Amino acid sequence: MAVFDTPQEAFGILRPVCVQLTKAQTVENVEHLQAQLQAVSDAALQELQQYVLFPLRFALKTPGPKRDRLIQSVVECLTFILSSTCVREQELLQDLFSELSTCLYSPSSQKPAAASEELKLAVIRGLSTLMHSAYGDIILAFYEPSILPRLGFAVSLLLGLAEQEKSKQIKIAALQCLQVLLLQCDCQDHPKHLGELKEQQLGDLLASFLPGISTALTRIITGDFKQGHSIVVSSLKVFHKTVGFILADEQLRRIPKIQAKPAVEHRLADLMVHREADWVKSTGDKLAILIKKIIECVSVHPHWKVRLELVEFVETLLLKCSQSLVESGGPLLKALVGLVNDESPEVQAACREVLRLFADQKVVMGNRAFADLLSESLYSLATSLPRLMNTQDDQGKFSTLSLLLGYLKLLGPKINFVLNSVAHLQRLSRALIQVLELDVADVKIVEERRWNSDELSAPMKALATRPWTHVQRRHFCLFTDERVFLLLRQICQLLGYYGNLYLLVDHFMELYHESVVYRKQAAMILNELVIGAAGLDVEDIHEKCSETGPEELRGIVASILEEYTSHENWYLLTCMEAEEGEEQPGLQAITSGAHTCQVVSFPAFSKPGPTICSMNSNIWQICIQLEGIGQFAYALGKDFRLLLMSALYPVLEKAGDQTLLISQVATSTMVDICHACGYDSLQHLINQNSDYLVNGISLHLRHLALHPHTPQVLEVMLRNSDASLLPLVTDVVQDVLATLDQFYDKRATSFVSVLHALLAALAQWFPDTADTRQRQGLTGKEEESQTPAAHVTSTTAEDIERFVLGYLKEKDVAEGNVSDYDNEEEEQSVPPNTDNNDILPDVELPLPVQIQIAKDVMERCIHLLSDKNLKVRLKVLDVLSLCVVVLQSHKNQLLPLAHRAWPSLVHRLTNDDPLVVLRAFEVLRTLGGKCGDFLRSRFCKDVLPKLAGSLVTQAPISARAGPIYSHTLAFKLQLAVLQGLGPLCESLDLGEGDLNKVADACLIYLSAKQPVKLQEAARSVFLHMMKVDPDATWFLLNELYCPLKFTPPHPSLHPVQLRGAAAQQSPYAANVLCLLQQLQ
Amino acid sequence: MAALVPPPPPPDPQFVLRGTRSAVNALCFCEGSQALERPLLFSGSQSGLVHIWSLQTQRAIAVLDGHGSQSVIWVQTLPQGQQLLSQGRDLQLCLWDLAEGRNAIVDSIRLESVGFCRSSILAGGQQRWTLAVPGKGSDEVQILEMPSKTSVCTLKPEADAKPGMPMCLGLWQLSPQANSSPRPLLLVGYEDGSVVLWDISERKVCSHIACHEEPVMGLDFDSQKARGVSGSAGKELVVWSVDGPQSLQVCGTHKLTNPGIADVAIRPDHKILATAGWDCRIRVFHWRTMKALAVLAFHSASVNCVAFATNGLLAAGSKDQRISVWSLYSRP
Repeated sequence: MAVFDTPQEAFGILRPVCVQLTKAQTVENVEHLQAQLQAVSDAALQELQQYVLFPLRFALKTPGPKRDRLIQSVVECLTFILSSTCVREQELLQDLFSELSTCLYSPSSQKPAAASEELKLAVIRGLSTLMHSAYGDIILAFYEPSILPRLGFAVSLLLGLAEQEKSKQIKIAALQCLQVLLLQCDCQDHPKHLGELKEQQLGDLLASFLPGISTALTRIITGDFKQGHSIVVSSLKVFHKTVGFILADEQLRRIPKIQAKPAVEHRLADLMVHREADWVKSTGDKLAILIKKIIECVSVHPHWKVRLELVEFVETLLLKCSQSLVESGGPLLKALVGLVNDESPEVQAACREVLRLFADQKVVMGNRAFADLLSESLYSLATSLPRLMNTQDDQGKFSTLSLLLGYLKLLGPKINFVLNSVAHLQRLSRALIQVLELDVADVKIVEERRWNSDELSAPMKALATRPWTHVQRRHFCLFTDERVFLLLRQICQLLGYYGNLYLLVDHFMELYHESVVYRKQAAMILNELVIGAAGLDVEDIHEKCSETGPEELRGIVASILEEYTSHENWYLLTCMEAEEGEEQPGLQAITSGAHTCQVVSFPAFSKPGPTICSMNSNIWQICIQLEGIGQFAYALGKDFRLLLMSALYPVLEKAGDQTLLISQVATSTMVDICHACGYDSLQHLINQNSDYLVNGISLHLRHLALHPHTPQVLEVMLRNSDASLLPLVTDVVQDVLATLDQFYDKRATSFVSVLHALLAALAQWFPDTADTRQRQGLTGKEEESQTPAAHVTSTTAEDIERFVLGYLKEKDVAEGNVSDYDNEEEEQSVPPNTDNNDILPDVELPLPVQIQIAKDVMERCIHLLSDKNLKVRLKVLDVLSLCVVVLQSHKNQLLPLAHRAWPSLVHRLTNDDPLVVLRAFEVLRTLGGKCGDFLRSRFCKDVLPKLAGSLVTQAPISARAGPIYSHTLAFKLQLAVLQGLGPLCESLDLGEGDLNKVADACLIYLSAKQPVKLQEAARSVFLHMMKVDPDATWFLLNELYCPLKFTPPHPSLHPVQLRGAAAQQSPYAANVLCLLQQLQ
Repeated sequence: MAALVPPPPPPDPQFVLRGTRSAVNALCFCEGSQALERPLLFSGSQSGLVHIWSLQTQRAIAVLDGHGSQSVIWVQTLPQGQQLLSQGRDLQLCLWDLAEGRNAIVDSIRLESVGFCRSSILAGGQQRWTLAVPGKGSDEVQILEMPSKTSVCTLKPEADAKPGMPMCLGLWQLSPQANSSPRPLLLVGYEDGSVVLWDISERKVCSHIACHEEPVMGLDFDSQKARGVSGSAGKELVVWSVDGPQSLQVCGTHKLTNPGIADVAIRPDHKILATAGWDCRIRVFHWRTMKALAVLAFHSASVNCVAFATNGLLAAGSKDQRISVWSLYSRP
């Protein structure tokens, strides 16, 4: 399409169209004009503006009824022209303005005409375009008092549209147009700064519309949420821009006291408003009501963009009108503060930005009015807080607490004014305590027990990932929303950050002491206060004036710590006393109590004693205090190392607690400490601080009645440490043994488990080098012995010769003709020892510490072997075998002790509970393995007959028994004895007679009728016997069942007849065959 | 009317220092101004090591090895600077410089006696100080002027006295107002159980009392009240005073249940006396009345030494390789 650049060309095109339109005002003609206009350049159109506009204006002005459609197209065309050209004449602007605004007015009904929606939209756009197309000077000249009626008409028209129309599009367009009309448009075309005088005149002019605009907009804003967020956003924008302009402090300051006589006629002068103080005051009061309404409605608006606009709303009004709207300051701030913790991050960010801006400009800090307002609000909030916390629902609590948090943030260090008032501090603290009340009715917490005692190392896996902020999930009486709890924590942290820490800690410590009811909450608050005081996670919008110094903080933490770990606050009853003493895993006891016989058992139980609730509460208190210690560590960082000497012991003690929750929390506290103090792992932590722990243990051992858990700490420590710990614990171990000697009857259980941990640790830290060498040697020997056995399949003459020679020699020895051979060897081995001893000829070399300890412990075990408590006996047997393992390289110590322990052990083996017998037999195996021939005669005399006897008597029973038998204790005992006898025979190097006894007892078990496992075990006995005496075993087996005929190698020899050959269908056949195969 | 309140549990040490790995023979708290911010305790052990303990962290911060594995029997800090004296059975008396974290021997004196006698110093805050050490002859005491190490005199008992070896020494001087020029005096406890007061400037015995039947093991002197106390291998603890013209007089004898006092110490405020017993116990007495205040039972072997800090903390070192630290003010 050709573009007509020159006015002449354009005129040529446009003229016929315009003439046509003037003649016949139809939609088609208008559209034709508009089509032609597309081809005209803007510059050309500008020249012809008046000319082209004429037919259109004529069309609008023609009297008589007009169709909407026509007016709409005329207006659209007009709008098009105006958008491409500028209005340069004042008069034209005014005329067009009037003409456009009257389009929607029907004089008859005195209200906006019932025009079509398209028309309304077109007119609104037209108006908007018109205002944009006017030049700077022209537009300013437009706003003079004389235009007031017409402008007022347009404003009310637009407000009406915005309020009453159904179409969202029209509403928004109307609101935007209103914004343009009030010269508050955001667009670039409009002058930003008008100059002081002009601004003031404009303000005076527009002030008369303020009541109407503000009320109408308020109605729109507080309307239904469903009307769509963009309408509310636009309305809010118009509201704050308008109010912010008309009531700007800057303008008002310059308003003269006396109204200058306006050079206008009287009727207009009445419309004009003089913005003097009284007017401002009354307008401010009226606006305050509206603003309050708006805030109430908008601050809970579901759409975030609306709340975002509210932030801007507050910003504009507070920044521009802080004097004029002094009444609304409170609500405005409250709105802002309430949005600090908005769920939408955009709103939060904007809010923070504004708050920071306020802080920067000292709006809050410097301006007395605002600072006063804030304090006042905080005062009143603190006053009503307890009531609000009681009555509000979760959402209500959330917003109330958000508000509180916001005030604290805004006031910063000034919160101390509020805190210094005793009444307000009390109110505040009561509210916090109240809302933090824990629900302790959960039975599960008391029930859950720790089973696995060495899980301490497990949680370290999570060490790297676990953030300190994680706290044990808890249930509160007054709310369920996790966000409320987070908010409460933030509030407490902020209090700790800005507030006077000494004052707060004192106050909450007092509450902590005051009643058990407050204790948990107070502890929670104290924990957060300390975190806050360290200032680690607090986002500061003020430049913090005085942070609590690390030294002071450490002092405060130390005092809280002392309180937490004091005897009456740390050693609380968390489970039934009975089970504690008995050390029974208490699960069955309590669950059965809770489910079945609750009614029966509880009234009798709980009246004087603890209730589930109180124990539960105690558990929580301990957990909170433990978490507190972790948080203190976090707050102090490396500085916390100095407090470890008092903190670590109690925490470790709780890590060994029986209640699952407590031990979990304690473990995570230790992880926190590791993090804070820079230890790699829990082991590292315990190792590095074992001196502190040992100190605690040794001091507590002195008052065992008061600190019954002390042995457990030692246990945990031993389990998590290494040999470097030994020199430190030596004296404590002596203390333990001394204390054990005092309390044999009462506390044997806990001590025995410590001894077990100790010996297990020793066995692990000092693996016997001789033992490992021996074991290696053994395997080597086995290989050797196997390989020749494989080679020598046929007996040669040399073999026979060697055998006969060996036999003769052994016989010689047996008869007492001992050669000097062995003795010489012994003598040779002695001198080097004496050489060593030369340095200190009269002093025996002191025993290594671990040997001394093992020796001392073993002595105690001898006494404890006959303890009344079955569990103790079992555990002692375990300890005993560990002692034997540790002592194996020091035969001089081991053998006398083994001798002393023997009678008691025999007693355990022969007449005791089957469980004990089983365990005792294991000890016997160990002992046999380490002491060897020292035990041979004792074993054969005291134990073997009984064992063999019991095997024989049990055999028919097990042969007949069904499959369930393998779950009985009798079976396990049989199995253990059979499995153990083989190695014992070998290690004790039993003689022929005794081997026969063993063989006799075990042969029965080779029967196919016996349970398979017993058969296997019995086979293993014979395998071991083969190593001791292969020939006798061969013979024995063949006596039982002989698979093949023996044809003599030489006819001169008698044929061999073995008893086993007779019974071909023997039940022993399978096992014997298997064994014989291995023998060859 | 007596309410049946269970008796309070026996007092506990405030904390226990472990890790010397051998018997503790000598203790000394750090004196001087730096003690306030960094309280330290020095211990000398059987194995010849001197440990420096921080009372703040309750850990050894340094170990001084200067006596060739021979038992250290005496440690003492000098008041003016960060210097430490240690006496070992390797016949060396070492002077350590500890300032600014240094741990170096700056001087040493060769001793002549292999006995168990602990040395003694008299330092009035000036640069020069006096040192008393066991001398060459078995019954002699040598007086040196430090730091120049010049021998002032040798105090040898008269030939017919035969008091045996000196077992413990205590240097002090009469307060100036009693005597115009300060006169250094030396108290010596001898093997035969006698306590002798020597006047160093005149090199003669001022006074002599035979108060113990067993060798004197330790003595301490309160120059304010002009009274001293000595303990011996026997059962008695003897309090004596220096009256008028330097004459010793026995004030009282206190019988103990078990024999053997290894060391005695009077608290710097002159109110309390502590003794280290071979019976593993520390006994605390009221110094004026000699009323027994407490028996502190913690150690499992004989207690070898006791020491008081200026703030009243009591430390005791024992053959069981532990050092217990007690706060005697804690229970009102």
